[in-house]
Amino acid sequence: MATHNKVIGGVEVSEPSLVDKILNWLQRGYSNYIFRTVIQALVTIWAVTTFTFFLVRLMPGNPVEVYIAQIINTENLTYEEAYSRAASQFSFDLDASPVEQYVDYMGALLQGDLGTSITSTGTRVLDQILRFLPWTLFSAGAGLLVSFILGLFLGMLMAYYRNSPLDHILSFISAIFSAVPNYIFGLLILVVFGVQLKWFNVGDMRGTYDPSLTPAFTLEFILDILQHAFLPILTYVLGTLGTWMLSTKSSTMSVLGEDYINVAEARGLPQSRIILSYVGRNAALPLFTLLAISIGFVLGGSVLIEELYVYKGLGSFLFQSISQRDYTSMQGVFLVITISVVLSNFAADLLYSRLDPRVRISGER
Amino acid sequence: MTTQATTPQVIVEDRSFFKPILDRLKIFWIGVTRNKSGFVGFLGLMFYVIVVIFGPVFVAFDDEVKLDQIAAPPGARVQLLTRVENVGTYTSLESLQGKTVGIVTNTGGELMVEDYLEKNPDAFTVEDERWRSGRGLDNMLDNLDAGDVDAMLIFSETVKRDVNEQTYPDLRVSNESLGQSYILGTDTQGRDIFTHIINGGRSLIMTALLAGFLSTMIALIFGAVAALVGGIVDRILTSIANFILVIPRFPLLVVLAALTNLNNFVLLAVLIAVLSWPVLMRAIRSQVLSLRERDYVEAAVALDLGMRHIIMREILPNMISFVAINLIFAVTGAMYEQIGLIFLGMAPINDYSWGVMLYFGRTRGTIFNPDSAMMVLAPVLAIAFFQVSMVLFARALEEIFNPRLRASV
Repeated sequence: MATHNKVIGGVEVSEPSLVDKILNWLQRGYSNYIFRTVIQALVTIWAVTTFTFFLVRLMPGNPVEVYIAQIINTENLTYEEAYSRAASQFSFDLDASPVEQYVDYMGALLQGDLGTSITSTGTRVLDQILRFLPWTLFSAGAGLLVSFILGLFLGMLMAYYRNSPLDHILSFISAIFSAVPNYIFGLLILVVFGVQLKWFNVGDMRGTYDPSLTPAFTLEFILDILQHAFLPILTYVLGTLGTWMLSTKSSTMSVLGEDYINVAEARGLPQSRIILSYVGRNAALPLFTLLAISIGFVLGGSVLIEELYVYKGLGSFLFQSISQRDYTSMQGVFLVITISVVLSNFAADLLYSRLDPRVRISGER
Repeated sequence: MTTQATTPQVIVEDRSFFKPILDRLKIFWIGVTRNKSGFVGFLGLMFYVIVVIFGPVFVAFDDEVKLDQIAAPPGARVQLLTRVENVGTYTSLESLQGKTVGIVTNTGGELMVEDYLEKNPDAFTVEDERWRSGRGLDNMLDNLDAGDVDAMLIFSETVKRDVNEQTYPDLRVSNESLGQSYILGTDTQGRDIFTHIINGGRSLIMTALLAGFLSTMIALIFGAVAALVGGIVDRILTSIANFILVIPRFPLLVVLAALTNLNNFVLLAVLIAVLSWPVLMRAIRSQVLSLRERDYVEAAVALDLGMRHIIMREILPNMISFVAINLIFAVTGAMYEQIGLIFLGMAPINDYSWGVMLYFGRTRGTIFNPDSAMMVLAPVLAIAFFQVSMVLFARALEEIFNPRLRASV
């Protein structure tokens, strides 16, 4: 590296060049945990967008060509007409080289342009997504939060009363819950409680809210939303609860063996404080790494759960666009789901570093 | 805490061939029976193995459409219907020798009579009516009522629905347990659900095993290579793993299935495997990293025993339990994704399986029909018990591989 050497007091000292300074600054910045997490999230989002770009274009049976053939057949257009129509809907120039297409696509994405829907002409994909996204984030987020808290509580209970009948029962239950797929729970709920025992009216529970109500910040509307989201949330909880319970139990057991717990007890600290600040906090830490995986799992599973309950969120929209071969919508929804996962992971990382200062310093987890 | 015994020990190696195998079996058995829920899982798994391998040999897949048995509840059977005065006389097919028997085409009754006539060609004359959206049934009931036929065979659910004191005061059931009873009832086409459950697991379980095996293999190879080679290879493999990990797997599978027109099970297994290795790969990588630092591995390196010896003899045996347990979880994961895809109609549905039964539940509305609950419940429970057995068995394995337990043998 080009350096200007200076002689100070007989000792040769190298003065860093501008490049070195920038590198040094970047390196120091990179050792900052938050900075690094942001960079990682951005790189992942970039990689995911690139991946979706090539996913739709480079697959066998190029969807664009398939779509062109489809409009030629159905609407009796010439190839050129169909071609230009497809180009405008996928919002990129089909004549351009793949690199130029890629640049255009990324440019459009940065402006929030995800193209227009193929099947419902004139609808912007982004508008559709913004309509459906909140419902999925709400139901999946609530499900994850409830099961996380419940799992933490039950798992700690199991660890405290280990080898008691309570522990054995809860262990068995959590093993079952962690094994059975969430859509199987969904089907059981629908068939047993909805259709056979008639505890609720299956038809009434469909959709995200009662269409006769106008969306407003009223108690009636909020209760209606909760009623419609109840089954999806319950299913998400049942589907993830077992994993939380088992992981909390094992992490709590390892914390209970630590010396600082003995010391805290010897100091005569109140039990409530030991449980919350000493055991709970440390036992919950390893669970945050699991949270990252389970966010993706729950959001991904929403395709099945929302389709099952006819809950009009992003998952059911993804399925709908796939079955209608609406490639632009499909690409957009997939991108948004993935970015939601990346951002949720990012949030989990930040929360983790707030709870465990060691992460910020050493950067390892 | 007990202190380590300091007396020098002389290790005598048992050279007999069967000893290690017997020891292992003994450990396995103790481990499996010690943990009650693990034992349940083990039994459940054995049950599935038997059903999947031998079930189809004994219970043939029923694909005969029977119009009068649409979505029959468990226990429903074919019944013999006669006029009041003949209730005591005509109680079985044998007692109808030389008489006239009425049936309706494509019903359980027709199939029974066909079977009987194959063995006894001259047993009785058969009068039949075409079904034609149920009209045939009414015609035949009228024939019976008028005395044109002596008895008729119909399905118990049809009797409950159509024959009562008001509609046909002169008709009575003389034998209500004729023919086979359907343990789980029939589906919306009158086909025996039980045979579908027995026959519908094989393709799913094979695909899940293949996917789980492939995914574990990829994880094992990539994890070991990343940890042992290190440097840029490690960084590339870890980045790929982290990247795949962040993409929600199921939506990607759905998208890929739609784009590739997924139509065979091997491709499905490969797709699932390619997307599911990262979690295990990262775990194996960190295990190998920590194992590499152990004294005995360093001793092996110092003794220059060779890479092959170090991997096969020092590192792998210490991870085999971990890998085995994760293989099981990989299989349950593959099962989840596979059935999910089939449920949505995105994976091969020409081969009838538990997943396809759920798919029909969704697309034909059987989920919401109280009469056809079994069509959904049976595959749901089959899948749920399989997954539970797998997980319970994996937990028993954890105990089997626990060194403290091994020491007690």
